[in-house]
Amino acid sequence: MPRHQSILTRRSLLGGGLVLGGTALAGCVSPGGSAGSSASPSALSSGGEAGGEISILDDNTNQVFQNGLIETFQEQTGITVRNYEMANFNDLHDRFATMFAGQDTSYDVIMTWAGWSAEFGQAGWLQPLAQDSLPADVIRPALDAVSWDDTVYGLPKFASVQTMFWNKEHFERAGLDPDAAPESWDEFVAAAKKLTTDGRYGYTCDMGNPAGAYQNFLRTMLLCGGELYDADYTPQLDSEAGVEAMTKLVELYRDHEVMNPASLQITNASDLVEVFSQGNTSIVFNWPFQWSVATSDAATTSAATVGNGLIPGINVRSASIDGSEGYAISAFSENKSAALKWLEFAASATSQREIVEKEGWFPVSQEILDDPATEEALPVVATYEQSTEYVTRRYGTPWSNELDQLLSVHVNRAMNGDEEPAAAMRASQQELLPVVEKYLG
Amino acid sequence: MLGRTTLSAVERKDRRFAIFAATPAGLTIAALFLYPLVYAFVLSLYELNDKRPEATRVVGLANYVRLLGDDAFLASLARTGVFCLFTVFGGVAFAVGMGVLLNQRFRGRAVARVLLLVPWAVPPVVNGIMWKLIFDGTYGVANSILMTLGIVDRPVQWLAVPDLTLGVLIFAEVWKLTPFLALMTIASLQSIPANIYRAASIDGAGSWQRFWRMTLPNLRGTIMFLLIVQSMWSIKVFDSIYVLTGGSGGPAGATTTVNFLAYLTTFSYLDRGYGASMSIAIMVIVILVAAFWVLLLGRRDKETRR
Repeated sequence: MPRHQSILTRRSLLGGGLVLGGTALAGCVSPGGSAGSSASPSALSSGGEAGGEISILDDNTNQVFQNGLIETFQEQTGITVRNYEMANFNDLHDRFATMFAGQDTSYDVIMTWAGWSAEFGQAGWLQPLAQDSLPADVIRPALDAVSWDDTVYGLPKFASVQTMFWNKEHFERAGLDPDAAPESWDEFVAAAKKLTTDGRYGYTCDMGNPAGAYQNFLRTMLLCGGELYDADYTPQLDSEAGVEAMTKLVELYRDHEVMNPASLQITNASDLVEVFSQGNTSIVFNWPFQWSVATSDAATTSAATVGNGLIPGINVRSASIDGSEGYAISAFSENKSAALKWLEFAASATSQREIVEKEGWFPVSQEILDDPATEEALPVVATYEQSTEYVTRRYGTPWSNELDQLLSVHVNRAMNGDEEPAAAMRASQQELLPVVEKYLG
Repeated sequence: MLGRTTLSAVERKDRRFAIFAATPAGLTIAALFLYPLVYAFVLSLYELNDKRPEATRVVGLANYVRLLGDDAFLASLARTGVFCLFTVFGGVAFAVGMGVLLNQRFRGRAVARVLLLVPWAVPPVVNGIMWKLIFDGTYGVANSILMTLGIVDRPVQWLAVPDLTLGVLIFAEVWKLTPFLALMTIASLQSIPANIYRAASIDGAGSWQRFWRMTLPNLRGTIMFLLIVQSMWSIKVFDSIYVLTGGSGGPAGATTTVNFLAYLTTFSYLDRGYGASMSIAIMVIVILVAAFWVLLLGRRDKETRR
């Protein structure tokens, strides 16, 4: 009996199906769909009525919102916070990027800082704010953390600048004056040498990941009197200050042997805070929340044994880096007016007082900063005010991630002795130039 | 009609049912596999960096050409090669050894086999966190043990020195994957008739000869499978790197394998077009490596069977 065959063979079915499916799928693909699709939304102005619901995706820096401020916000505005989610800072970037690329409307408000404001702002993923949305007394460096290219994309929720913290008990035992901070780099190195004893290192930092390597290098470069970019955003990594900064860091680690080797492995400020608060190192340059943790019940240090002052400079008296954070509104938010109310609330006196008193971050409002109660609650505010006399930078740019990554490679090589500081900076400069060129063209 | 034959009613009914039954699976595969694949390929033909939306344009195969001259990509390929060398050959060799050992009769064999499965039962992210804690430069158990034994006199910064970090990564991966590989080996070993070993022993074959001339040839098919899956896993390794290095692929890029570079390019730098071309390239590499093993060992396996 002959085998019957159909015109619809398996091969033709498969082939036709693939062609049809591929065509249909390719038709669905819209690679440029999210990029720039927001088409530079017009700036959002303050005022007017707002209601409904909002969702917020924050980092886990501030607990005060979850612990009462959300309720206060809802009572004050009538706006419901449907979802307030906190996530690890290091995980947020990719989450935001995926969310924005998919034009996800799940979150109206996101946490931001200088790098992300520039990156996501340039991508058209953040809602620009009009000038009338900005509080009159907002502190400028904090506002820079939510701005890029003369556009403001959010409002700051706290200001943050690194200062020096030292353990007074360690100082006393090492024969140093516990109430006198080192004022120059040489004094700092000399003190760190005396403090490096009994298996404990005088100084510890957090350069275990790209962002940490960048921050520690930048701070040292500023202490050398350098600038990361010139007025045209041409990188200055291989400048005299850049090479000197790298050299000073290498010396701390390899020559003076006062830097805790774990510094190359510590990946965030929270871990550094713990190292200091448990008495495992004597000096750190860290963010203001170091104070509240170091003076908490769980710490081996206390308000009486923790000193705070300006970071000692190399070619200048002092300098520091900015770590202010804020909130921005997603360009894909469906309730931007209500989201703006949240931003205003976070920058308001009500929130600022709690952030200062309960969490130890600096306020973003000049009025709160000038309030004597602020310094009473957070003594390190006095150092912050002193630091405003000196250079404080962060240089958040759309290429911050690329810079962090490439710089960290050479910083690590130099720290491990695999590259000379000058060669490391030359290589970094050469790699960064085309990156900047790509974005600024 | 010439050239055209017809199916019987029953056959047509059977075929319709077969298509109907296969449709859900086909649609699922299309949604979960074909769509992302086509999407990724189309993306790879674009210059598409979300931070430069104005520059989005079709560039054809330019991203693939760029890959060939990209030092970072080529370096990550070389790094992936080193990683694969240890995890594939080392992992499979170790697993075969473990399998042979656990196939012997000894007291506590059942417990040993259960314990073998423990690393496999640990979720990948937990595995990464565990090794990160063990090799922590300040509080890690590894340093405590080495210092107690007097092997080192100061803590080793395992995750701060590039070569050491790559070593830790290889160690963590082999630890995680060995149970599965060893389990497959044991299953295969149990299918080898015991009487041929007895006959070989009577003929005077020693342990090494029995392993080399009887065990290994019988395991060839299994070893081919293990080499294929382990090669695929090693080329695509991601979770352990992410957890061990805090999402950086560091220190100094030492653990930035080709798959991790594709992740950094796509998600950290938002260069989705170029990142997609890397992903497609990785897929091609995986297919080529799998084909290489099939051609190399599959043919020999057939010859052995003949």
